[in-house]
Amino acid sequence: MEKAIHKNSSLLKNKNISSRKAIELTVYIVVGVILSLLFLFPIFYMIATSTKSESAYASSAGTLAMFLPDLTNFGEAVKNYGNVFSNYGIWRYAVNSFTYAVIAIVLNVLVNGLAGYVMAKLNFPGKRFLSFMIIFLIVVPVETSIIPLYSIVKIMLGLKNTASVIGVVLPASISIFNIFLFTQFFESIPQGYEEAARIDGANTLVVFFKIILPLSKPIVATVAVFCFIGVWNDYLWPTMILPRAQEGQWPLYPIQSALTTIQSIQGITTGEIMSALIVTSIPIFIIYVLAQKYIVQGFGTAGLKM
Amino acid sequence: MAVSALIIAAVFVVIFAVFAVFDVVTGKRTKEKYRIRTALTAYLMLAPAILLAFLFVLLPILYSLGYAFTDYYLLEPDNIKYIGFENFTRAFSEIASGGTLYRALINTVKFVIGVVPLQIGLALLLALFVNKPLFGSKIFKVCFFAPVVISLSVTSFLWLQILSPSRNGLLNSVLGLFGAEPRDWLRDPASAMPCIIILSAWQGCGYQMLIFLSGLSNIQQNLYEAAALDGAGAWHKFTAVTWPGLRSTFVYIIITVFIGACRILTQPMLMTGYMDHTVTLSYYMYQQGYTNRWVGYSSAVALLMTIVIGTITLIQRRVLREKN
Amino acid sequence: MKKLLSCLLMLTLSCVVAFSAVACGGGTTTDTKSGEVDQTTGNTIVKIMFHVDEKSTEGLAYKKRIEAFNAAYKDRKIKASATYTARVQGAAGYEAELLNNQVEGTLADIITFDAPNTASYAKSKLLYNISSLVSEDVQKDFYSLNTYDGSIYGLPIQESSAGFFYNKKIFREKGIDVSAYTVDNPWTFEQFNAVCKSLKDAGVTPVDMRLDATKDETATYLLYPFIYAAGGEFTSQDGYTATGYFNSDKTAAGFTFIKNLITNGYTSYAIGPTDFFSGKVGMYLSSGWTIPDLDNKYKEFFANRDDWGLLPYPSSAVAASATGSWSFGITNNHHSDKTAATELLLWLTSVESSDAITAATGMIPARKSVNKNWAEGSPEYTLLKQLETSGKERPVTVAYPTFSTCFNQVIAALGTNDVKTLLNAQADTLQSEMNRLKQK
Repeated sequence: MEKAIHKNSSLLKNKNISSRKAIELTVYIVVGVILSLLFLFPIFYMIATSTKSESAYASSAGTLAMFLPDLTNFGEAVKNYGNVFSNYGIWRYAVNSFTYAVIAIVLNVLVNGLAGYVMAKLNFPGKRFLSFMIIFLIVVPVETSIIPLYSIVKIMLGLKNTASVIGVVLPASISIFNIFLFTQFFESIPQGYEEAARIDGANTLVVFFKIILPLSKPIVATVAVFCFIGVWNDYLWPTMILPRAQEGQWPLYPIQSALTTIQSIQGITTGEIMSALIVTSIPIFIIYVLAQKYIVQGFGTAGLKM
Repeated sequence: MAVSALIIAAVFVVIFAVFAVFDVVTGKRTKEKYRIRTALTAYLMLAPAILLAFLFVLLPILYSLGYAFTDYYLLEPDNIKYIGFENFTRAFSEIASGGTLYRALINTVKFVIGVVPLQIGLALLLALFVNKPLFGSKIFKVCFFAPVVISLSVTSFLWLQILSPSRNGLLNSVLGLFGAEPRDWLRDPASAMPCIIILSAWQGCGYQMLIFLSGLSNIQQNLYEAAALDGAGAWHKFTAVTWPGLRSTFVYIIITVFIGACRILTQPMLMTGYMDHTVTLSYYMYQQGYTNRWVGYSSAVALLMTIVIGTITLIQRRVLREKN
Repeated sequence: MKKLLSCLLMLTLSCVVAFSAVACGGGTTTDTKSGEVDQTTGNTIVKIMFHVDEKSTEGLAYKKRIEAFNAAYKDRKIKASATYTARVQGAAGYEAELLNNQVEGTLADIITFDAPNTASYAKSKLLYNISSLVSEDVQKDFYSLNTYDGSIYGLPIQESSAGFFYNKKIFREKGIDVSAYTVDNPWTFEQFNAVCKSLKDAGVTPVDMRLDATKDETATYLLYPFIYAAGGEFTSQDGYTATGYFNSDKTAAGFTFIKNLITNGYTSYAIGPTDFFSGKVGMYLSSGWTIPDLDNKYKEFFANRDDWGLLPYPSSAVAASATGSWSFGITNNHHSDKTAATELLLWLTSVESSDAITAATGMIPARKSVNKNWAEGSPEYTLLKQLETSGKERPVTVAYPTFSTCFNQVIAALGTNDVKTLLNAQADTLQSEMNRLKQK
């Protein structure tokens, strides 16, 4: 749209506008690159460090050289990345994280989506109470609740050993905030779509899956991406509740739990740690880049009226 | 434990029923019709969410509220006594005597006052910047979001290097070019909190940038065209079209950033450790509840904090919404 | 519409059923309970929980010892079952897990714990009093025991000691001779200052006192001996009084010594964590765990042991050096019969195990009778000698976490504040925590 406006205005005025445009574009890109550097420097640091031996890392620390890779010693980089896979086997943990994240995303969309749909479209006694609860629970700080949560999962539900995995996935699949997001989004879908379907005799559940969900790609993508980032980056809770790896068995730890424990292994170098961090950040970046178009729409159409 | 959970569940159901009956009664007066079938469908579809939310969200909160009135010490879970308001008296006397809790309160207020405008302002500027349909804007959008995704321990470690008190520290050496004396940024009470504010805003603003972007995408383009025809400059366009169009997004952002800022914990923890000039309310709770093992007392502080933040948030909602 | 209802019912029901089935499944599939008899093999299972990752050198050493135990006790039908995990930062997760395990009845029979927690764990009855289970001869053979209130609650896995690593290349270049300063003839505070002065005059940053390591236990562990060396104290014997100890004049003298190092420009908060390793600093205060790093990781700066050495802690009123490490303890879980657990505990702390474990970790064996064939003058030898002659453990108090926080706060504020004022304020904080714990 805005492009069209620019075009129109450039037609109205004469040609030296286009050279002004070129300057504007250059300024824009230069400013953008500088800003990007301000936001990306940790990544440069991670990449640079992952190519260094411990000595090279120590001598570059605190200077600008810590953002520059060590190009003199290419073997070191290969060694760092190789060790991450061969010695510490991080791919297994990545598989775990990925599995947990996918299950949590599916449950998240189903559970919170259904709830959001009800809150947005159906009228029932007690709705005002639930709306109040939703806002209330978004506002309550939950820092102290990890100890009772632990007791609930371990003692009340008795999730032990392999079943502890459920204790990782289920709490991650309920999010009051996502119910709120879904509600806001569904409210913006015109009633007409559903009514047409209902005349055809479809029931509420069918309407939800056949009509509403396909219209809701943006919000589903938004919820999915943030759920993924959340599960992928969480380490404290999984480390607390999952059993320790037993010999000869597939470990249950997700990637971040594994990384925090790997970091404490004596003899591991900073370069190796950074290689591991880079490798494990790649999925998040890919998913974010793929879904970012939808994320903007998801928040946008939801309107976010608190 | 299962028994207490069932009792709480029963209480919850009763409360819900009371509200539901109340809705039905007032509904009759306002001629609002509830159809039994719709209501049943609604309850069934809500059931999984309510079950999970009850178990993993509400129950932990209620338990920790319960702990607030006990002397729960982490190492003695079978020796928990009800002690009434003793934890709260302790908290208030700690504030009154200017103890660590008082410092934590002041620091948190400082942090909130600093970070809320800074983070929102940055996010808005970035959003306006990448919203231009020019070459590279999409790439920039990905770049600005990067700190949200990178692990906090990596970014904190980097910031520690940047803010290193050494003459050769990155920031000190840059300022040294202009003749400034090296400073110990994080140990100096005057500069520690501002540094933590800046780093938090930097870390978090990418997320709000996305939300602002979505708000921007909702503004009708013809409003800009109309403004352009009226001969409006960039600034006038912003105040006349963009700003009013972002209003509801802005309300949402201000509330969520405010709540997030009140709970600041990780940054001071990783940057300075437990120090009087940077300890925050959440950090204080963490220290009391986990390190010192006073779960009961920590829960009491959490309850007080919840009441304060909740009240402020509700006031914010009121004030900001009324103008709408 | 009926279809819809039944459909929804199915959904919710399946949700609930799946949920409870899984929950019950989790409840019933608990593996053989510690100390109980495994039905199929008739073995008594002893569960043990290690605080390190199983792939670490230390973890591998434990694993070997556990395997050897199982082989040796096969006939006696005792089997050890071990779990390994590196502890995530902060004690909370680990402690919450221990306690919930205790409530659940799944607490391991033997746990490892950090020595300063002895008092808290013993007072809270998490640990079992093992005084009567360990013979006096064995007790005497340990450099230290984890005692609280006169009873033994744990046996150290290994010992640690710290000292000043120094860059021999720099010292040679600047003509500074420190060869006279040994454990038997430790240098004094004044001599330490003199060496710092020579380094400073030669244009080298003299010493990294690790003043920036106040976010965790590191600074406390490395710096508390200076206060003891100056004749100071932190708490009363019973660990419930800090006022008059933490802020006594002698304690203040110890902190003042550190403060003067800062004011004289011998050390600072500004020294980077890798500066010593890249040859920018003369001396570096650290524990024995730095030995393998210097041997292996920084070849460009420290090619071999000719390039670096280790000096003991300087002494003043007395000699004092850092000690303390992790320990094994038998838990007070639901198994009243501790026979099997005792067997495993004694096995893991035996001379043989002690030797095997420290051979892997490079730390000092916990038992005196382990044959240590370190060459005289080697850094390991220095640390061992120092442990024997001047090792002094951190204060035993249930308020240890607060003690550590207070200590860190003093160190972090030392550069710009009056020592006595700082100590008075922290002594108050520590005292009120102690009062509170005494009442609990």
